[in-house]
Formats: sequence, C-alpha cells, structure tokens
Amino acid sequence: MRFPNQMNGRARRVLRCMVKFLAAAAILGVASRATATKSDDELAHVKAELEKTQSELGATREQLDATRAALEKLADKVDRIESGSTTTASIAPSAPRIAPVNADNPAISFVVDTAFSTGNLDPGYNFSLQSGELFISAPIDPFLRGYASLNGSSDEGFGLEEAALVTTSLPWNLTVKGGRFMSDVGRMPHWHNEQLPFVNRPESIERMFGGETISEGAEVTWLAPIDHYVRVTAGLYNAIGAENSEELLDDGFEGRRSFNELTWLVHPSTYFDLSDTVNLEVGGTWFTVNSDSTRNLFGADVTLRHQPGTSGLYQGLVVGSEWYWNSERFDEIEVGVDADTGEPLFGTQRFERNGGYAYAEAFLGRQYSVGVRGDYAENIAGPSGRQRTLSAFATWLPSEFQRLRLQGDAIAQDGIEGGDGYQITLQWTGFLGSHAHGFSAR
Amino acid sequence: MAFPLVSLVFAIGVMLFGVAQPAAAVLRVVASTPDVADMTRQIGGDRVEVVTLAAGSQDPHKVPMKPSFVTKLNRADALVVNGLGLEHAFLPPLLEVASNPKILPTGPGYIDASVLIQPLEIPTSQNRSQGELHPLGSPHFNLDPVRGKQMAKAIADGLARVDPEGAADYRSGLERFNGVLDAKIAEWAQLAAPLRGVKAVSYHQDLVYLADRYGFGMVDTIETKPGVPATPSHLEALIDTMKRERVQLVIREIAYEMPLAQTVAARTGAQVATISSMAGGLPGTTGYIDSVEANLKALVAALHAAASE
Repeated sequence: MRFPNQMNGRARRVLRCMVKFLAAAAILGVASRATATKSDDELAHVKAELEKTQSELGATREQLDATRAALEKLADKVDRIESGSTTTASIAPSAPRIAPVNADNPAISFVVDTAFSTGNLDPGYNFSLQSGELFISAPIDPFLRGYASLNGSSDEGFGLEEAALVTTSLPWNLTVKGGRFMSDVGRMPHWHNEQLPFVNRPESIERMFGGETISEGAEVTWLAPIDHYVRVTAGLYNAIGAENSEELLDDGFEGRRSFNELTWLVHPSTYFDLSDTVNLEVGGTWFTVNSDSTRNLFGADVTLRHQPGTSGLYQGLVVGSEWYWNSERFDEIEVGVDADTGEPLFGTQRFERNGGYAYAEAFLGRQYSVGVRGDYAENIAGPSGRQRTLSAFATWLPSEFQRLRLQGDAIAQDGIEGGDGYQITLQWTGFLGSHAHGFSAR
Repeated sequence: MAFPLVSLVFAIGVMLFGVAQPAAAVLRVVASTPDVADMTRQIGGDRVEVVTLAAGSQDPHKVPMKPSFVTKLNRADALVVNGLGLEHAFLPPLLEVASNPKILPTGPGYIDASVLIQPLEIPTSQNRSQGELHPLGSPHFNLDPVRGKQMAKAIADGLARVDPEGAADYRSGLERFNGVLDAKIAEWAQLAAPLRGVKAVSYHQDLVYLADRYGFGMVDTIETKPGVPATPSHLEALIDTMKRERVQLVIREIAYEMPLAQTVAARTGAQVATISSMAGGLPGTTGYIDSVEANLKALVAALHAAASE
C-alpha cells in the first residue's frame, strides 16, 4: 500500500524534528560537561534551544498522532473498497434526504382466512370468511407501544377485536398491558383464529371462553430475572371471554361492577430444555370472580416439542394439551318447570364443568404437516351437551405467506338424537403485509 | 383457593433463585448466529460470556423461538446480530418479550455486525410476488471472509462502546483475529482459484457475496423465488437453463433438503456441493474460520468431481 504525498511530507517533518531533538540532546550533554568553563549566557542559550526543541517535539507528536489516525482511516477505506462489490454499485448518490411520507405509519398486516365446509350435522355446503383481520402496531414513544386488530367474519360481522397499550421499558422485568385484548389464558385461548394449527378452535375452548379470551382490563407480566424461564401474568378484567362480554352487553349491562365482580387472573408458565432438540413448556391458569365465588376456572397446559433442526423429511413434532375445570354460578337461569302452569322456573344454579383437547402435529419437509386432535367439550351451563371430537388435519404451505389446510372431524354428541356425524373443512389463508407471528403464538 | 397457587408460584421462584449462578464474565453477550458468536468470543476473550441463539445447521429464517432465549436476552448486557434483516423471523418477537431495553435496536447494547458492509442485492421494489426479499439487501455477507473482517471490526467497535474499559482488549483481540483471518484469506485465494468463472445454482438466493469474492457466477436458484419452494415448472425451466449455461455446481445449503438438489444435479451433469450458510453447520466445524474453509473445500471438491466426470 502506498502512502499519499501529504503523508510523506508529514513523515519528513517527523524525521526533521527527531534530528533536532537528538542534536539538542547532544549539545546539552556537551554543555553539562563544560559547565565550569561556559559563561551563563551560553547556558541560557542552550536551555532556550532545548525548550524550543521540546516544544517542536510536542507538536511533532501531535502531528504523528494525527497522521496515525489518518492512516487508520485510510486503511479502513482500503478494506471497504477491497471488500466492496466489483459488480454492483450500491452507494446512493448524494441527494437531499427526504423522509418517506409513510415513515411514521404503523406496521400493517391483513389476514384473509376463508373456508369451505360440508358435513351431515349441519347439512349442505358453505363458504365462509372465517376471519378478515387488519392488524396494526407501532411504538408510541420510548416507553409504550400500541396495537389493534379489527376483525370481520361471516358469523360475527365486523368489529374491533383488540386495541391495547403495552409498556416497553418498565423496571424489574415488568410489562403492563391495558385496553381490550386477549387475556393471557393458557396457550391457545388467546391465539387469533388464523394462528391455530387447526381449521377451527377446539370446541372445548369455544364453549369454555366463548371463543377467544377477549377482555377489557389490565395485565401485568413479570419475567423472572434468572437463567430459567419463569413468567407470571396477573390480570384484572371486566370479564374474560368473547361471549361473556357480549351476553352482558346484550342483557343491558352498563359496564359498572363492584370491585368483587371483576375477574382476577394468574397465569404462571415455565419451560425446560430436556435436550438440545426436545423441550417442554408447562403453564397453569386460574381466574376467579370473587363476588360469591361466581366463577372459578382452573387450567393446565403442556406442550412438548421436538425441534431437530434438520433438512430431512421429518422436521419436528409438537404434542400439546390443555384442560380446564370451570365452576360457575348462574343467576336467572332456567332451573325447572312449574308443575301447575308449565312455565319455566328461573333461579340460581352452580355448574361444575370441564373440557379440553390434546393434539399432535408432525412437520414434514419445509412445506407440510399432518396431525390429529382429540377434544372433549361440555356446556358451561344447563345440560352438559357432551361432545367428543376426533380430528385429522393436513397443512400445505405453498409459501411462507399462504396456507391450505384440510381437516376432517368425527363428532359424537351425547343426549342428542342423531348427534353423531362428521364435518370436512378446507381452509385457505393468506397473509398480507408485515405479518409476523408473535412470541405467544410460537 | 388463591393461597395455594400463589404459594406454589412463590416456592418455584425461591427454588429457581436459589439455583441461579452468578456469572463470572464481565459482559454477558447474546449472539444471534454462530458466526457473530465466534467472532465475539475471539475478540472479547475472557471479557465476554457468549451464548448463541441459532444453530449452524438451521435455516436462519426458521430459528425456533424458545422461551429459554427470552431469559438469555433478558439478562444480556449486549446483543450481537448479523444484521440486514437475517434475524427478522425470530429475533423481533423475542426482543418484544425480553424486557431488556438496552439490547433493543435503539439501545446502547445492540451491536450490528453489518454496519460496515456495503449491501448487495438491494431490491429495487418491495413486493412479495418476488418472494421473500430482504429490503436492506442480502444479509448473507458472513460467507465472504473479507467481509467477515468488517463484521469483526463492527463487533469490536460495538464491544468497546458497551464496555469502554475493555477497549484496548477488544482492539488487540480484533488484531489477533484479523491476523489469523488474513493469513487464511491469502491461503483461500489459492484454494478457491479454480472456482473463478464457474457457473452454479444454489438452493436459496444467498451466495452473492461469496460468488462476488471468488468469481463464480450464480445462474439461478432451486427455489422459485427467495423463500418460495420449487414448483415443477420452475424446475423444468431451471434444468433447461443449467444445460444451456453448462452449470457445473448445485450448491445446497445444509438447511435445505438434499434429494431435490441431487435430482437437479443428476439431470444436468452437475455436482452437488453442500455448504452451510452459518458457522458450525457442517460436520467437524465449530468456528467462523473453519466453517469458511469447509465451505470452500466443499465447493472445490465438487468442482473437481464434476470435471472428472
């Protein structure tokens, strides 16, 4: 590598100053030996020469430092030029830097989740929009982010599903969420429909929570500051569950409760790496409405994953299960029939019901997966209406942002004449925009 | 009802706090990929304790989001990333729940190894009909060892910024690493000389920097578009193109399946070379330098096999 001329000049100046310094040192040495014979004037002259030379040495050192810095910069530049492309010019031409008009807009995505189904319990054929979901999110300031999802479907029309604020920089590993959102119940109850590994939500979850666990309230999540993963969520809500809220609204509930009528939730979860490729996740859920023990729900969720990270046909397995036990008191519910008048009698009654599912999904290659699911569901009030569903499903990903899934369900219902049957559903899902699965839907 | 559950949670917490061990190293560093992890260890020496998220044999676009990663990120003083969006599929969601503002991209502990890289393959338009494009340019510059020096420089600068007291150590660590790498780069220039002018296809579009360094030409990919699996019509067109262009190498990244690469190679007379797009992916490799060497040796061996047929 050749130095530029400017640097040769600097080097020359450095050498010149060093020679002067050596000369001054030699003169000083001579002067020190001849002190007795030299006059005071001569001594003063030599001292002045020494000071001047020392001053020049200081300046030269500064120049040397500057030269060294310039040399490092040039070496960096040479490295950059050497490592740069010989085929593509990627450096932008100098131009005014104008912020794009969309610079402050949030990340936006849209999911189209559509299905075609048929079966003998609900005879006929049906196309449906399972979900058309607009999701937006963005940081609000250094301390807060916000997100919202607006969802439309054939069954439920269009509405604001979530609109929430989430802190990003609280101390002690705390995160606070507030607004309307899916409360942190179990594993899948708070997933959006299109995030499920099945074409539909398990019937047990559907009945227990009325679909997704939409809630209005506030949640605090704490991540234990240790090497082992332990995460605990505590929440306080008006109510948990989509249909619960809707029923309350339909009944003319005005949204004011006593403190004891709010719903409390605790959800601890932990995780174990059983080996490099096998891991286990375990969680527990408890929520309650304190007022007269209106509702107590306990749940447990377990997920075992094998993630070998290979490129062969078999690429992994997920086995998961959730089970919930619900004890809930219902007021103004039909408890019998008046023997005289035949009119229904209404009163207060507590129901103890449970339900859950288990599934296994194997991943084959980069594009395919197959799985089975078993589900047991009871109504949370009234006749138990037990339903057992055995499902098989297969998924094909033509690309990362498109999914086709076929699922067959064999359904057995107790206490319903002709309650056994089947359903076949073909689901087609596409993801537009900045869609990324969050950590909770891993 | 509430009391037993709270007690259980408390007991678990006490148990886990009890078994937690204090770290001896000065700086807890999480590295997103094995490449930047190895560079950080080489540069930081005893001043750093490095844990890695992705494994070398994994597809960097499909790294699983394990909860154990969250705790590592939560406790990290610094996060070293490859950058240019390589980690987009797994790192942002993990950072969202890791409760550690200092290692967010805007935080002081975020060390981006791509800051000195001049990106190639910057898309001229952002449209998923063209596949899954990296908007900032290809992030696979780690495969080129000369650009590896720039990664190492960016990491050393970042470590010195996070831990100013160790700046001199990081500078000398960088000099040591560069000394070894420079010698290898000179050696590899001889090793890889036969690759100059050779035509190749890869499974995924990730070899632009490596091809640029050693002068071989990338004709097409087995994937239809970046991140979009091969379709039958694309494969037929690819095979026609390979025959016409006399392509000698089918470069299969180890995270992608072998059978399709072998089928394409068999129908065109090309040879399959298996490389790893991240360090430690090939058997017998662990660090950045031996991984680069293993990749180049695999390419040259496949080329010799193609020439001998």
